[in-house]
Parts: sequence; C-alpha cells; structure tokens
Amino acid sequence: MLPRAPSRLLVLTASLAVAAPPAQAQPSARDIVDRVDQLLRGRSSQGRVTMEIVTADWSRSLDMEIWSLGTEYALVRVLAPRKDAGTATLKAGNDLWNYLPRVDRTIKLPPSLMSAAWMGSHFTNDDLVKESRLIEDYDISIGFSGDRDGVAVWEFVLTPKPEAAVVWGRIEEQIRQADDMPVWARYYDERGALARSIAFSDFRRMGGRLVPARMTVEPADKPGESTVLQYQELAFDVGLEPSFFSLQRLQRGER
Amino acid sequence: MASPWVRIGWRNLGRNRRRTILTAGGLAVGYCGVVVLAGLTDGMVGEMLRNGTGVLSGQIQIHAPDYLPERDMHRTIGGRDGTELSRLLERADAQPGVAAAAPRVYAGGLVSTGGATIGATLIGIDPTREARTTLLLGSLREGRVPRDGANEILLGSEMARTLDAQLGDEIVVVAPAADGSLGNDLFTVSGIYHSGIGDLDVSTALLPIGTLQRLLALDPGRIHEVVVRVPDPWAAPGIADALQTAITDPSVAVQPWTTFRPEMADYARLAQSSFWLVLVIVFTMAIFGVANTLLMATFERRFEIALLRALGAGPGGLVRAIVAEALALGVIATGIGALVGLVLITWWHHKPPDLSVFFGGFSMMGSYIRPVLRTEYPWPMFGWAAIALILTAVLAALYPAYRAIRTPAAETLAGR
Repeated sequence: MLPRAPSRLLVLTASLAVAAPPAQAQPSARDIVDRVDQLLRGRSSQGRVTMEIVTADWSRSLDMEIWSLGTEYALVRVLAPRKDAGTATLKAGNDLWNYLPRVDRTIKLPPSLMSAAWMGSHFTNDDLVKESRLIEDYDISIGFSGDRDGVAVWEFVLTPKPEAAVVWGRIEEQIRQADDMPVWARYYDERGALARSIAFSDFRRMGGRLVPARMTVEPADKPGESTVLQYQELAFDVGLEPSFFSLQRLQRGER
Repeated sequence: MASPWVRIGWRNLGRNRRRTILTAGGLAVGYCGVVVLAGLTDGMVGEMLRNGTGVLSGQIQIHAPDYLPERDMHRTIGGRDGTELSRLLERADAQPGVAAAAPRVYAGGLVSTGGATIGATLIGIDPTREARTTLLLGSLREGRVPRDGANEILLGSEMARTLDAQLGDEIVVVAPAADGSLGNDLFTVSGIYHSGIGDLDVSTALLPIGTLQRLLALDPGRIHEVVVRVPDPWAAPGIADALQTAITDPSVAVQPWTTFRPEMADYARLAQSSFWLVLVIVFTMAIFGVANTLLMATFERRFEIALLRALGAGPGGLVRAIVAEALALGVIATGIGALVGLVLITWWHHKPPDLSVFFGGFSMMGSYIRPVLRTEYPWPMFGWAAIALILTAVLAALYPAYRAIRTPAAETLAGR
C-alpha cells in the first residue's frame, strides 16, 4: 500500500459564532443540541485562534486569524510560526482554495479532501466546514439527566438517521443544564468503538457571548496525541460581506 | 540384442502402420500440449513476476521494521537519526545475487496546476540507481528523467491528463512535512511516464530523492525504502535472508517479494501446480486410447497368440511383447511430441504471438500483463511429461496383455 494522499490541509471555516436564540421554558433535547451546534457558527465572526498540536512525532503551535460568514464563507490565515505564516485557506460555497506564500500560488482543492484532517490536527475539515446541522442528520435522545460531579447536566445520544450520509455511528454529548455549555462530546465509529473525544473548557464571554474558548480533541487510537484549539479573540456580527471572501483577499493577506 | 519378444513387440508396430501413426500422433499431441501449456504458463507467470516486482517494488525491499503497512513518513530506516545511506547501499550491492539497489522516500501530498489539484503519492528516487534497479523509469513516455537536486517532477500519464499538465509546465507540490509544517514548492514537469499500472499512472509522481527530502524536512540520511533487484525472482527469499544476516542491524527489515506480495507468490505457485492437473487429465485420457488400440491389435492377432501358446510360449513372453510394443509406441510419441513442442516453444519464445490485435493489455494484481504469449522453456515438464507418457503407454498395455495370455489356445485355433 502506498501512502495515502493528503492527510493534512489548510482548511478551516466557521468559527465560534454564537447565535443562541432566547432560552425557552421547556427546551426539547433537539433544541438544546441544535443550540450548542449553532454555538460553533453564526452570522459573521472574526477571531484569533491558537492551535496546539501534539503528535507522536512532532508538536507545534499555530496562530491563526479566522473570518466567517454563515456556513458559506470562511477565510483562515496562519500568522505564526514564520515557516507557515501567510498560508491561507478560503472557502466560498463549495469551493476551497489554498494560498501558499512560499511559492506565491493559489491552488484549488478538490471536494474529496474535505474529509481530511485539518492542518495536521486531530480536527477534521468536516468539523469546521459543516454543511448541515446535527439535527438534520441525527435522531436525538436524552441518555441521562441529572448531576455529574455536582453539576446538573444532560447527556444526549445522537444516532444517525437511516438515510444520513455521516461518518459517525453514534455521538454522545454532555451539556450543562445551567448555561447550555457543552462539556464533552464523544464520537463512536460504525462498530461502536470510541474514535475520539472533544472536551470543552475555558467558558467565557467573548464578543458578548458565553462560549467554550478552549477545545481539546483526543483521538482514541493514538494515546498521547491531542489538538487544543484556544480562542484568543472573538467578535461576532462584524459586518462582513460575501465580497470580502475573494481570491484577491486570500492572496493579499490584508484585512 | 534385444530379446525376441521385444523384437516381436517392435515389429508388431509396423503391421498396421496407419494405426500406429494415429496412436503415436495422439500421444505426441498430448505431450506437446502439456509442455507448450507449461511453457505458456511459465511465460505468463514470469511476465507477471517481472512486471509485478520489476516495475516498482523490486524483488527485495529494505525498510524500518514498523514502516509497513502504514508507510508512516516518520518511520525511516535507522529511526529519527536516519542511516548511513551509502554504506547500506554498498552492503546491498555487494550481496551475491543482487543486481542493483536504489533508495526511496515516500510521501502523500497534493499536486496542483492551480486550477486542478489531485491527491498524489510522491516517490523520491535516485534517478541513476533507480534506472538500474526497476523498470519504473523505463516507462517514460515523453520528456526525461528528473535531474538530481533539481525541482523537477515526473508525472503519471493519467495524472498529467487530469491536471492537463504538459512538459515544462510549472506545478505546485504540497505535502505535510515531518516537522508538522506544510511543505510546498514549485516544480517543472520534466517528463510523463506510462507504466500501464493504474495506481501508478493515476496518482504517483516521481521526484529526485533529495528534493523530496527537502520538501518533507527530512535529513538526507532519512529514507523509507531500499529497493533491490534480484534477476531470478525465486532466488529472492534466500538472498533476502542472507542480506538480513549481513546487515546485522535489527532496526532494518529485509523482505523478499514473496513476503510483501504474498498473493503474487500464491498465484505463481497455483499456476504452476495446475500443470499437474493438466498432465493427469491428458494422460488419463490417453490411457483409454492406447488400451483400445492395443486391444484391437491383440484381438486381430488372437490366432497367432493362440498358436504361440499352443507351441508352448509362456505368459511372460506374451506380456513382454505387448508391453514392449506399448513402450516403443510411447518412446516414438515422446520423441515426436518433444520435437514439435520444442520447436513451438522456441518459436514462441523468440517471436511470441501478439494478441493485442484482439484485446489490450490488462493489469492483474497490480502487475501489467501484455497480451503476448511468450513461452518459457519448461525443462522439468519435458521430463515429467515423458515419464507420464511412457507410464501411460505401459499401463494401457496391461489389460490387453492380460486378455492375450487368457486366450484359450485350442478353442481359438479350432475357430470356436
């Protein structure tokens, strides 16, 4: 077997945008999961993110700036380290482009690469370039409701709908009852084995909304490896237009 | 001087020449069929092994022990520190039975012309050594081999078509590097190759090993593979063992193609063992034909046999005469069959029938097979088939001989 083609790409879109609807008196499981799902996207946003990647063979830290508009548009630019600085990815509709400053070229990425890992991290592109809502692809039930370590939480079980084209066999998610903040999510493959887990932490107000500013992904099959995504700055509804997300912007590196 | 019984047997062959010629001809065709089929199968298996191991994989490969099957970029020979490459190559070159050896680096990446981008396997090669070791660079269709140290790349034919890339075009290669960064650089298309093997032509690009190491942030001593050429594929397992012993480094794994392409070894053995089935079928059929002929012959001679019996001939002599007749038939048939078979095999070895007018080449188990029926010389099969044929003739003679000695002399002579 020859090495598989790209395991790693510069692809990132939607950032943490919070478009939380006003809390209802008796929200259903579906409403809560959808609200948390929507926590990770929004109308428009701009943020600065640090990503710490630890693998068995290397570790590195990336600083990035991210702009997004809905689920259709996103632009990510690497600020540091110097070796990768200026590398940028643009998503506009279904098209993905990558700008490589070292060779000053922009390349268009085939859609098949959307399922690849993102920037060598343990996030997949799919995590960040979500095309549809969880509630559209999964049936949601409450697996547990009550106290865990003194905190009132729900634990939801998401099972794929029969016709849904999704990679996971099951997702479990713990959400705090008090403020709808996610605590962890566990992703199982089709055979029911744990594939990876995401822990949410550092809940704080950014851009006027409460968000988990820190997300840690750990793959189940690679103990000791992890990716930590930490939001440094985050602003919402920053008034971006679709025209902002252009190839010129991708290459020029200006805001 | 042969015994009179043997002479009688031999002369009996001449009494009905047409029948003798037809029977011997039938046996000869069977013999010829078996050896030519064996030659064709040997040729086909040989072609499969030559292409299957010769184009890309080589007959022996050297890796870090944990490199296969994942081909993790970090699992280089000698670990993170790499290896003293020139010494390893010299060691391989010096091994008796080894014709050549070449180092390689593998990576997964993207190859892009800007508008079109495809996922690709990148193989870093030492152009000079690679040309001596595998047929990979021999499949170059246009352009030339990339120069050592240059940012030049060789694309598979299908890949070039998908990318719409021509000779001299500038393309971008992007690959995740060993330090976690995103290696990227510009390359010039120096050539396009067409191996006939889908995986290669569709998604594999070749570049100078040093250039790829730089792109991947790998030190020059860090390589993934040494490919070794052994002219006789079946000698590879023994040579691999000897080379493993000679290298003495437990962090280096030497494997013959029978280990990394077991399905090909299985297929080759299966194809060769199928000769035996053919052999058994052909000569079992022949037994009945020969027995029938000899039964006829002894029946025609029943008066003569009865007379011999009446004159005091023992059963041993009669049996000997009939067996000698069958034996002579077998030897003649073997001679004719071997001669015709050898002529056919020699002819098809030097000028193989080309069936490409009827159908194109095809790949089997990742090995490109030309529709050309080139035969090899199946020497052992000549021997085995001869033994089988003569054994057949003798076995077929036993029943007629039994009938002959049971001929009742008085009744037969009396015409009753």
